[in-house]
Amino acid sequence: MLLEIDHHSGQPIYRQVIEQIRRQIMAGLLGEDSQLVSVRDLASQLNVNPMTISKAYSLLENEGLLERRRGVGLFVAKVAQDRKGRVKARLLEEAMVRAVTAAIQFGIPEKKAAEMLGGLYRKYDSKSRSDSND
Amino acid sequence: MIDANPIVQMNGLSKRFGKIQALDGTSLDIYPGRIIGLLGANGAGKSTLLRHIIGLYLPDSGQCTTFGCDAGKLGPEELGRIGYVHQEGDLLDWMKAGQLIRYVSTYYPNWNRGLEEKYIADYDISTDARVGSLSPGQRQKLAILLAIGFEPELLILDEPAAALDPVMRARFLDMLLQFIQDENRTIIISSHILSDIEKVVDHVVIMKAGRIVLDSDFDELRERFSRVRVSALSGELPSELPFANVLDSRRSNGEAILTVQNCSGEELQQQAESLNCRIDVQPLPLEDIYRIVVS
Repeated sequence: MLLEIDHHSGQPIYRQVIEQIRRQIMAGLLGEDSQLVSVRDLASQLNVNPMTISKAYSLLENEGLLERRRGVGLFVAKVAQDRKGRVKARLLEEAMVRAVTAAIQFGIPEKKAAEMLGGLYRKYDSKSRSDSND
Repeated sequence: MIDANPIVQMNGLSKRFGKIQALDGTSLDIYPGRIIGLLGANGAGKSTLLRHIIGLYLPDSGQCTTFGCDAGKLGPEELGRIGYVHQEGDLLDWMKAGQLIRYVSTYYPNWNRGLEEKYIADYDISTDARVGSLSPGQRQKLAILLAIGFEPELLILDEPAAALDPVMRARFLDMLLQFIQDENRTIIISSHILSDIEKVVDHVVIMKAGRIVLDSDFDELRERFSRVRVSALSGELPSELPFANVLDSRRSNGEAILTVQNCSGEELQQQAESLNCRIDVQPLPLEDIYRIVVS
């Protein structure tokens, strides 16, 4: 679990921790059942107040992404596929709103913007790239 | 942690020095396990408040209870759990720094020799120099060592970083974060420079003219305010923007920059959609938050 805190972003640290862990879980980088670093260790690693980490962890627990196993620690919870899908869609939408509003402001038509999106998708996704080479 | 009992309770504290009302009916509870930033302009009453906690000042009226004991009657047992670094840095100037450390350490059965040695090395304290010959920065570092060497439960730091250069200041703040990794410890740190302590505090108390104008969780305070840039997707912005709780707004050419309070990002996003606008929400810089709160 690799986390990076930006003290100058103005974004509260607990939010930065939540967003990074949520993204890692959704991207499968932090797999189901993997154990999280303890509050104390993570706080000391990132050099932040332990209250901040315990707040981030409990909010992720309330969200259902983490589960506490008594006496053992905190683990990535098993999340139903459809719920996971909703979270992913929300995160993607947040990212896409920026692109779409920029396109509208710059007067780029929907079709052109969608073509650009498709092109970028193929550029970054190795699977679809190799498919098209077949 | 939040459910724990306060370790310091101040109730209607007032203190006057001649014509100056330094504390004006101040009430504040301090809970364990936190790093509390005490902010305010010079003369706002920060030092006076801190001195009441350890009974250095007695209130004209009101009470202050520290570790369950009337602050004016704290004994060696309670005082042995409190470290205090003050601005003046009164130290025994005729001793060598190393002698002073030994002298102070004998008062504390739980003095941590390992911590002392680490601190001397990390902060480059010259133990052979006479205390009176130290630079203000070195004096301050020595005063901090004397206050943390016995690993107090409550550490009171009155403008501790003022004389430290930026590198030492950063190291000092990191040291505070290591210190607080033990959940039973509490730090109160006063400053008139917000940026000094924003990295470490989890709770903020702001004073103005002897009164507390804000006592809040730090993250809640930060999230209460945002700066929102609204821009029309096509054409002009509506002349009336329907946003609530706007503290300040500027606009020109189809764009507006608003300072808003108590609005969630989702609410703002929904309003933007209905207005056919693009919005960018940024956290408000702390200096701006501070200015809003004290004004």
